[in-house]
Amino acid sequence: MSKLLIFLTLIPLLPILTTSFSPENPSSRRVLVLLDDLALKSSHSVFFNSLQSRGFDLDFKLADDPKIGLHRYGQYLYDALILFCPTTERFGGSIDLAAILDFVDSGHDLIIAADSNASDLIREIATESGVDFDEDPAALVIDHISYAVSNTEGDHTLIASDEYIKSDVILGSKKIEAPVLFQGIGHSLNPSNSLVLKVLSASPSAYSSNPKSKLSNPPSLTGSAISLVSIVQARNNARILISGSLSMFSNRFFRSEVQKAGSPTKHEKSGNEQFLTELSKWVFHERGHLKAMNVRHHKAGEADEPTIYRVNDDLEYSVEIYEWSGTSWEPYVADDVQVQFYMMSPYVLKNLSTDKKGSYFTAFKVPDVYGVFQFKVEYRRLGYTSLSLSKQIPVRPFKHNEYERFIPAAYPYYGAAFSMMTGFFIFTAVHLYSK
Amino acid sequence: MVKSTSKEAHALFHSLRSAYAATPTNLKIIDLYVVFSVFTALIQVVYMAIVGSFPFNSFLSGVLSCIGTAVLAVCLRIQVNKENKEFKDLPPERAFADFVLCNLVLHLVIMNFLG
Amino acid sequence: MAASETSNGTALRYAFGNVLSFFILLLIGVLAFSIRLFSVIKYESVIHEFDPYFNYRVTQYLTKNGIYDFWNWFDDRTWYPLGRVIGGTVYPGLTLTAGTLYWILNSLNIPLSVETVCVFTAPIFSAFASWATYLLTKEVKGAGAGLTAAVLLAMVPSYISRSVAGSYDNEAVAIFALIFTFFLYIKTLNTGSLFYATLNAIAYFYMVCSWGGYTFIINLIPMHVLLCIVTGRYSSRLYIAYAPLVVLGTLLASLVPVVGFNAVLTSEHFGSFLVFIIIHVVALVYYIKGILSPKMFKVAVTLVLSIGLVVCCAVIAVLVALVASSPTKGWSGRSLSLLDPTYASKYIPIIASVSEHQPPTWPSYFMDINVLAFLVPAGIIACFSPLSDASSFVVLYIVTSVYFSGVMVRLMLVLAPAACIMSGIALSASFDVFTRSIKFQLPGVKGNSQVDAGDTSSEGVVAQNEVAKTDKNEEALKERPSKKNRKKEKEHVEKPFVKAQIKKRLLVLPFEASIIAILLLILLGAFYVVHSVWAAAEAYSAPSIVLTSYSHDGLHVFDDFREAYSWLSHNTEVDDKVASWWDYGYQTTAMANRTVIVDNNTWNNTHIATVGTAMSSPEKAAWEIFDSLDVKYVLVVFGGLVGYPSDDINKFLWMVRIGGGVFPHIKEPDYLRDGQYRIDSQATPTMLNCLMYKLSYYRFVETDGKAFDRVRRTEIGKKHFKLTHFEEVFTTHHWMVRIYKLKPQKNRIRGKAKKSRSKASSTTSTKRSETQRKNPWH
Repeated sequence: MSKLLIFLTLIPLLPILTTSFSPENPSSRRVLVLLDDLALKSSHSVFFNSLQSRGFDLDFKLADDPKIGLHRYGQYLYDALILFCPTTERFGGSIDLAAILDFVDSGHDLIIAADSNASDLIREIATESGVDFDEDPAALVIDHISYAVSNTEGDHTLIASDEYIKSDVILGSKKIEAPVLFQGIGHSLNPSNSLVLKVLSASPSAYSSNPKSKLSNPPSLTGSAISLVSIVQARNNARILISGSLSMFSNRFFRSEVQKAGSPTKHEKSGNEQFLTELSKWVFHERGHLKAMNVRHHKAGEADEPTIYRVNDDLEYSVEIYEWSGTSWEPYVADDVQVQFYMMSPYVLKNLSTDKKGSYFTAFKVPDVYGVFQFKVEYRRLGYTSLSLSKQIPVRPFKHNEYERFIPAAYPYYGAAFSMMTGFFIFTAVHLYSK
Repeated sequence: MVKSTSKEAHALFHSLRSAYAATPTNLKIIDLYVVFSVFTALIQVVYMAIVGSFPFNSFLSGVLSCIGTAVLAVCLRIQVNKENKEFKDLPPERAFADFVLCNLVLHLVIMNFLG
Repeated sequence: MAASETSNGTALRYAFGNVLSFFILLLIGVLAFSIRLFSVIKYESVIHEFDPYFNYRVTQYLTKNGIYDFWNWFDDRTWYPLGRVIGGTVYPGLTLTAGTLYWILNSLNIPLSVETVCVFTAPIFSAFASWATYLLTKEVKGAGAGLTAAVLLAMVPSYISRSVAGSYDNEAVAIFALIFTFFLYIKTLNTGSLFYATLNAIAYFYMVCSWGGYTFIINLIPMHVLLCIVTGRYSSRLYIAYAPLVVLGTLLASLVPVVGFNAVLTSEHFGSFLVFIIIHVVALVYYIKGILSPKMFKVAVTLVLSIGLVVCCAVIAVLVALVASSPTKGWSGRSLSLLDPTYASKYIPIIASVSEHQPPTWPSYFMDINVLAFLVPAGIIACFSPLSDASSFVVLYIVTSVYFSGVMVRLMLVLAPAACIMSGIALSASFDVFTRSIKFQLPGVKGNSQVDAGDTSSEGVVAQNEVAKTDKNEEALKERPSKKNRKKEKEHVEKPFVKAQIKKRLLVLPFEASIIAILLLILLGAFYVVHSVWAAAEAYSAPSIVLTSYSHDGLHVFDDFREAYSWLSHNTEVDDKVASWWDYGYQTTAMANRTVIVDNNTWNNTHIATVGTAMSSPEKAAWEIFDSLDVKYVLVVFGGLVGYPSDDINKFLWMVRIGGGVFPHIKEPDYLRDGQYRIDSQATPTMLNCLMYKLSYYRFVETDGKAFDRVRRTEIGKKHFKLTHFEEVFTTHHWMVRIYKLKPQKNRIRGKAKKSRSKASSTTSTKRSETQRKNPWH
């Protein structure tokens, strides 16, 4: 899972990050929910209620409502968007594919639920985010081994999966006991795409095909390559949740009991509610959102930040890192934050020690190389927003008067030079006298 | 052959000594001064060979101050030598003044370079 | 002195001659200064070209922060991220000179800007240089030759090319230092005074401060000393001129940070040390010879030879081993390329890539030294009659400098003073001969016939010298003691006394021939003057930062460079890094005040190769290279629209070569079609896809619809393309400078699926079979 750690993010994206997420008034975050059918509002009410109870202001609109729009007068009206409209071919109002992508690129969050027969539009949004749905519109994920046991022996499209991503920050620290019910379309991820993560994957025995037709060709998507639910963290830290199933958000799935085929245990309640609630917390930045501030560095024993260091100076570096808890900024505690003293390659790589109150610090010696260095903190952990701090600082060589003087080994030379001088005076005297 | 060579060498040394004995005293003083500085330079070179050339600027200035002094003294010797016809119209006072100036410059530079 | 022995009238005439030559010198100074002002008059008072901008920036720093900060200046705006220790890598002579000038002027309450001082430093020092030439030539061949040489130097085109107002470069000061050092060496050699030896060492120090060409001095003087010893011209004056210079000069040179220990550790200086040892041995031998009887001396020689030979062999063996153990034999690349002209093109493309490091063409000789080239041989002949220490030095100087100028165009500059001195001697000697012939045949005409002097009054002085009686000529000869010691010279003086009289009568030329010859010489001189003025006005005054062109509809001014630099300084962040080919590095730091990756101080080949590689790579690879260097903007110079030939496309092969020298995946043949460099439709795909091509020709087709490149005189090969990783942010009025910004990385990474199935024009296609099979939208 090494690829999960690789979140390539540019340094200058840090300022954009603040626009995506305003810590000033987080309680009144506005979310636009676009639905195919207003009936979804009640059939998926458990999910919506959990959002509302966490302080989100949901605005339900039909996807083809001609009055909807994401921004007005250059200001975005919403902080996040939920697309529960898998069959919509085009949105009403001013919303189209480009508008949604701009919305994400300016740092806003997005939840997409597709379904079998998902429309072109939804597929394209997903594709732009790095997720490829099965191109067969009628295809569903079928699993003849780990399907959910139900009363009617169906076509095994209702899957019970418990192959979650192992990340406390994404799915919460509480273990999800019951499998998650899923019924819908599968998608695949480009393995070279480092921004997208598979949160819920299908079992090795799953495949994606049209359950109604006979399987003539080998299915295009098989096994654990099929992702059921994926998340994307864009480089500007906007977060996207993409699910192949709309029904997994429904009250029916939330409440239904679940038993995985071949498994003796029968759970009273499916894992869907816990899974999706925790996941929505992550998507809406209630977890895993870090910020770094107050980067300071100074020479050991001094308080002011210098404009330039000299080689072999001792310096101290400190930075404060906090995590958003949903209501306030809490100190972030980890022992793997590192600082680099970097000039084309890291010359110094030090672990920062923390005081558990958010402050990280270390001290090191400037290497014996001059040049323009950077203090770099590149902190990329699975599920966390990536921290990328860099601060430029030049390092100069010794000044002409900073070199060592009066080296003992050179005393004979000094002696010789001075003896020559005295010799010169004596000689002058003698020479003049003898004349 | 060997005997004749050594004999010749002996004669050579003898005549050298006698010729040198005729040198005026002030020239002899200069010679002494030159020998002194060359000797100091040699000591430093030997010292450098033993200890290593780390404070290279100090070594350089030490040795060059000795060589410089010697060279300047030789120049002075050439100029004040009465037998040297080339410098007949150059008064020894002027020669000495030049010598002092040159030395001052030399030692100024040495001081600058020593540390 | 001569005057004391001659009559009162002659003394007066001499005094008059001295005053006259003083005024002539003053006028020469004015001439040298004013002929270099064409650039200010035609353009404006602006710093020229590339290197001067760096010097200007350094001078600004010096005047603002003082000498110690300058000494320790670590510049973090160039060579990002390596930075450059300016104080330790720059020849400070020029900067300190201009800084001192500025300081003096300001303390005299003459408020001139630093830029003005910098612009006029070079003309001022060329006046000094012509005075120094006068002094040097006077030491060699008398005042007449001196004045002629000074006039010639004041307007020699080769020197003008480097010292017009605004050309604020090391050479401007260094040529003066070079000539002055040579003068002091000759002066010491002629007088045998320690005082001049000291001055000589200090002048040498100034030269070391000013220019890397000081190695020329420290090799030429030992060569001359060796020549004197070999030809049996050793004298104690030679010893006094040389030995203190080596000791003091080496010490002083080590004080200059950029030279430092190189002054004793590199091979360029070893020659001088070797000669230093030799001259001591020779001095000792002469001394012993002086105090011993000849017979005894013979004995000593045999004895010393047998022992000395063995010792010498051992020492030489050790030296050779030491030198040979270092990979480049202790020579720096530039010096090696001097000795072996093919060295640079073989091993160091970065040296070879600079146009001024190329061997010159024949026309450039004619352009740069003009008629002097024909007068030089005559001057050499004049130097051999009679050959003195001083004239042998000048001959040696011209011979070596002719060789060096044949290796590098840039060193034509060293040749110019030598050529001037030689031509001065030649002209003066021939005027001497002709006027004397005229005088002998016109017994009635008195000597003060300055009237016959045509172009310059220098022959007036020559003529004056001539009117002196022949015995005075003898005195003049004595005044410049030649190589042999006094005793021999005495005899020498007696004999020519009679001989010269006869010889002079024999040398008399027919009257008409003399007149015609003088007229021809004057014509030659006039031709030289015309050419020099033309060169100063037209050829060498362009600041190259502002370009002009004449066409049928009048004068066009291209001020694109300053436009681009001021755009950079106003529209980018202070700490943004700008990448360009190294030619524009100095200007970018000085005029736009932005950090650059590489600049004209080409000290780090790898770094330059990195930029070269980026320019020759496809867009994506180039983006990655630039991004790793934190580059924000890329600047390219493009002349295709207005026909400016020295643009980046024409320099591109050097980028490929230098880049390929370090990063072997860049191969020069990939950019050439059948060995030909072309950018039209026959060009290779590598060429058409490299960053330099794309940045130069992006949107070029929009200008005339055909995308016709006026420099390469062809239509470009690929006209319509888009940039994915760069965006154009600024293009100057004539498209000469184009600035691109690196696009940030994409916020999202797209999936693999087809871009847009609903769009019929979609060009991308996936190769997944089931798409074809089951896609219902088709």
